[in-house]
Amino acid sequence: MKTFVKYFATLMIAIFAVSSAFAQGYKIGDEAIDFKLKNIDGKMISLSDYKDAKGFVVIFTCNHCPYAIAYEDRIIAIDKKYKAMGYPVIAINPNDPEVQPQDSFELMKERAKSKGFTFPYLIDEGQKIYPQYGAQRTPHVYILKRDGKKNIVKYIGAIDNNYKNANDADQKYVESALDALLKGQEPEVKSTVAIGCTIKTK
Amino acid sequence: MKYKKIFLFIAIAVYLSTLSGCVSEPEIKVVNFEELRPVFHQQNDVLYVVNFWATWCAPCVKEIPDFMEVNSEFSKSNNFKMVLVSLDDSDKLEEAVKPFIVDKKINDVDLYLLDDIKRMNEWIPAVDSAWSGSIPATLFIRNGKSLKFVSSAIEKDELRMIILELMQDNK
Repeated sequence: MKTFVKYFATLMIAIFAVSSAFAQGYKIGDEAIDFKLKNIDGKMISLSDYKDAKGFVVIFTCNHCPYAIAYEDRIIAIDKKYKAMGYPVIAINPNDPEVQPQDSFELMKERAKSKGFTFPYLIDEGQKIYPQYGAQRTPHVYILKRDGKKNIVKYIGAIDNNYKNANDADQKYVESALDALLKGQEPEVKSTVAIGCTIKTK
Repeated sequence: MKYKKIFLFIAIAVYLSTLSGCVSEPEIKVVNFEELRPVFHQQNDVLYVVNFWATWCAPCVKEIPDFMEVNSEFSKSNNFKMVLVSLDDSDKLEEAVKPFIVDKKINDVDLYLLDDIKRMNEWIPAVDSAWSGSIPATLFIRNGKSLKFVSSAIEKDELRMIILELMQDNK
């Protein structure tokens, strides 16, 4: 009986821990989970596939959201600049295409082709990954730094402070964070918030 | 005969002017956060239901008719005011926001367009510390005290219950 109670208590604590982790998502310093998600070319992609990466710029984004669209060119520029330095962009569409048909796998392929995406554009089939990260909107950026086999969350938030006009963005949060990490420092601004589209679920 | 024509002309002109009075331009104040902020600090026992939305935001557009229906149930109360804060691009005020307001027959609410995009990282946490910036989002506030914040769409019945409960609390 005593062992049963013990098991039961452990189980409840485990369930509570898991559910609260789901609800809140990652904080700065947490270890981010790896994933295996389908890219627009049909291949499965994991962070562990990138043997030489120093880290990642994981961006939850999509086709339909006007903010996501406004940032497409900047995401391409970030990938082009920082991939060579060890921080590739990994874009993930977290939306349920049945709720938001513009974010279907087929249309993801089309969008990536017409914009000339230089990075993988993955679909979060079954919507299992974004809740673990705690992504709440598109676009929502998570910068991860590799530490051995772990990927540690170093920055969460927006790309910069002006979705409308890239030239008038005087705080480039993601680039500043990456520049700091590349110098072996911690990002000065570790998290930001911005208006974005909700992640579409049933 | 000539007078008849003039009379007819004046009659038509008067008629047209009343018509245009009926479909008058919706009054939307374009503000920065400092200018919006007084709404959050009124000390007048009024429950303010402040909804953040945008014409491009599908779940926002979907819930607004429900908000208008519930608003019509409470708007006669002196202790209730609904406020819609558009987060649309200010360039879209004439072509998208105003037509939407007219089309959806949005009235009896205070209308703002918050044009302060470079400081989102300052005003989003100032509205609610738990807000990640996704919309729709709705703040229920009275006498400068935030009573409830919902950063997702709200069903009609749920909205009505929240308001009833908060109005009850103040009696």
